[in-house]
Amino acid sequence: MRISVARWWGSIAFRQALIYGGLVLLTMGVLLGVFYQQTVVVWQRQIDHQIDTSTDRLAIYFRKNGADALATRINELLGDGIDSDTEIYLLVDPSGNKMVGNLALTPNLMAPVNGIVEQRVIRAGRNSQSRIRVTRLPNGGALAVGRDMRDQYDLERSIRRACLFGASIALLMAVAGALVFRHQLERRIGTIRQTALQIERGDLSQRVPVSQQDDEFARLSRDINAMLDRIHALMEGVRHVSNTIAHNIRTPLSRILARLHKAHKVDSREELAAATGIAIREIEDLNVVFDKLLQIAEVESGARRQSFAPVSLNAVAVNVLELYDPVAEAKGLRLTHALGGNPHAAGDGDLLANAMANLLDNAIKYTAPGGAIHVDTVRRESVVAITVRDNGCGIPIEERSRVGTRFHRLDRSVPGWGLGLASVMAIARLHGGTLQLDDAEPGLIARLTLPALDGV
Amino acid sequence: MVNYSSRNSRDYPSRNRPRYHLGTALTQSLDMPRCLIIEDDADNARYTADGLRELGWLVTISHGGVEALERATREVWDVIVLDRMLPDDVDGLSILKTLRGLGKNTPVLVLSALAATDERVRGLKAGCDDYLTKPFAFSEFAARIEALLRRVESGKDVREMHIADMRVDLIARSVERSGKPILLQPREFRLLAYLMMHQGRPVTRTMLLEAVWDYRFDPQTNVIDVHISRLRNKIDKDFSPPLLHTVRGVGYMMSEDAAPDEAPA
Repeated sequence: MRISVARWWGSIAFRQALIYGGLVLLTMGVLLGVFYQQTVVVWQRQIDHQIDTSTDRLAIYFRKNGADALATRINELLGDGIDSDTEIYLLVDPSGNKMVGNLALTPNLMAPVNGIVEQRVIRAGRNSQSRIRVTRLPNGGALAVGRDMRDQYDLERSIRRACLFGASIALLMAVAGALVFRHQLERRIGTIRQTALQIERGDLSQRVPVSQQDDEFARLSRDINAMLDRIHALMEGVRHVSNTIAHNIRTPLSRILARLHKAHKVDSREELAAATGIAIREIEDLNVVFDKLLQIAEVESGARRQSFAPVSLNAVAVNVLELYDPVAEAKGLRLTHALGGNPHAAGDGDLLANAMANLLDNAIKYTAPGGAIHVDTVRRESVVAITVRDNGCGIPIEERSRVGTRFHRLDRSVPGWGLGLASVMAIARLHGGTLQLDDAEPGLIARLTLPALDGV
Repeated sequence: MVNYSSRNSRDYPSRNRPRYHLGTALTQSLDMPRCLIIEDDADNARYTADGLRELGWLVTISHGGVEALERATREVWDVIVLDRMLPDDVDGLSILKTLRGLGKNTPVLVLSALAATDERVRGLKAGCDDYLTKPFAFSEFAARIEALLRRVESGKDVREMHIADMRVDLIARSVERSGKPILLQPREFRLLAYLMMHQGRPVTRTMLLEAVWDYRFDPQTNVIDVHISRLRNKIDKDFSPPLLHTVRGVGYMMSEDAAPDEAPA
């Protein structure tokens, strides 16, 4: 029993429904209380008021017309057929004898008390619970006026019974409603939990079934499914990255290993020297690849956002242009620039220089001698941009979505690792910006767009 | 082994001799620069120690722990090489902080497999003078160690530097060779000044990129080579002997003598 109560109490739906039911019960209680007050108590007060006015009227009648006239009046009242079931009158003469009335004279009846008193009396020969007011008359006699309360009590009893009955029904409904509500909620949540369990066990393709009704649960299910889709896509991306990384690291490793094995067997000094030379170069290359991969990972982790400061894109561009100017010149390329608008962005100066160096590096690599490269910076409303435009071979449109994935290379004859644009994209994302590649017909337009920094 | 306690009274000894001629270095143990390597990987430590010894250094290896802290603080070193990950989860930086807390300014090169920028910044904040990520080429390591030693030596104000018939005026930012003025771009001047400051010792491309351009990334193309060849055109082309040498597998070196890549260390 305890366990099952704990289990029910462990359900938020059950608790909520029960609390709600409790509130309904409380409201009903207040309502019934007011109803009881308005009927029973008010009615009783009315009865008392009637007794009081009746007494006052008869007392005045006595003062005007004397005891005998009053006795006649009371006889009339008793015989008029109005309220004859409930009315009570008794007139006693100064010597304490009953003159007229439908009430048996009992010793405790005439005990001196003020106001209306409820007591057991004998009315018209029968026991009765009545409210009675006894008044002393100026001649030494007494007048008792009252009302039999049996009807009133019957009514009170039935009202009480109705209230109790209603309350118990409401309580039952509240508990039953809580149980039904809990069951409903459990059923809807159950499907979500079931899916979560299956996913936890490794089946990432599972999705929460979305019900036809467009309610909170359907919306929640859709949100969860969208989240799962995103996680799935990210995991696929990670898997792809790990695969390409493994491939791009294993290939040189197996090359090195094969070469060293061969040299080891041949036992020739020259062969060994050549093999170690190649191994050293390959391992140094691998080291560079690792550095670049780790740098991309570091950028993607967002940790460097903490060191963001206002950066002038023009200053970055001037320095990187100066770094690459001799390289372009050596290859016979014309490197021009147009810097304007004093664009600033919140960022990491070293990373932005890195990104621009990568773009410029690519432009120089993929543009034949005699070509031209143009760099410009602009500020347009809320964004700033660095654009590197060349008239080299460009990127075919079908390739454009794939450049920027790690190790993807357009031309394997050009030295490189296929990590440059991946790194630029990671840097752009870190800064809340984008890298856009367009056709310069011929050539490539690479535009790094970042949110502008105001007030600089 | 050298008796270390006898050296404690001495401050940094003067060493003005070029250290790329090894034959004499071994006989001048009193003038040899001393290096403490704190590294728990025995093979790695031995490899770096052997390399430094070949360059004429006196090297002591410590594998970490209390002993490492004691040696680092009690004895006098010219350079300390400190690994970040030491046994028992000790971070090498704690040794560095203790050392700096005691007011010791011994140059420290921190070695670490943690490449991330904030790790590097943490290292520099703790008071290290240079930071190198593992794995590294020995040439890069050696060049940086030598540069640290050089930094201590050239603490005084230098206004002018000379090599052969070339004069570099750091105040007027002017260069002349054989009495003829040579016009350099500001960046070329910085490049030359850095090479001059390390004359007789090779500097790597990464060191140049860091010191002259302030960049911490590695450009894909060898941009440094192009800048060097430009500089060489201006300072060496019409003069003799050549001063700016390529050290194969390492980088570049300013020297009156022939390039040491014909006689690698």
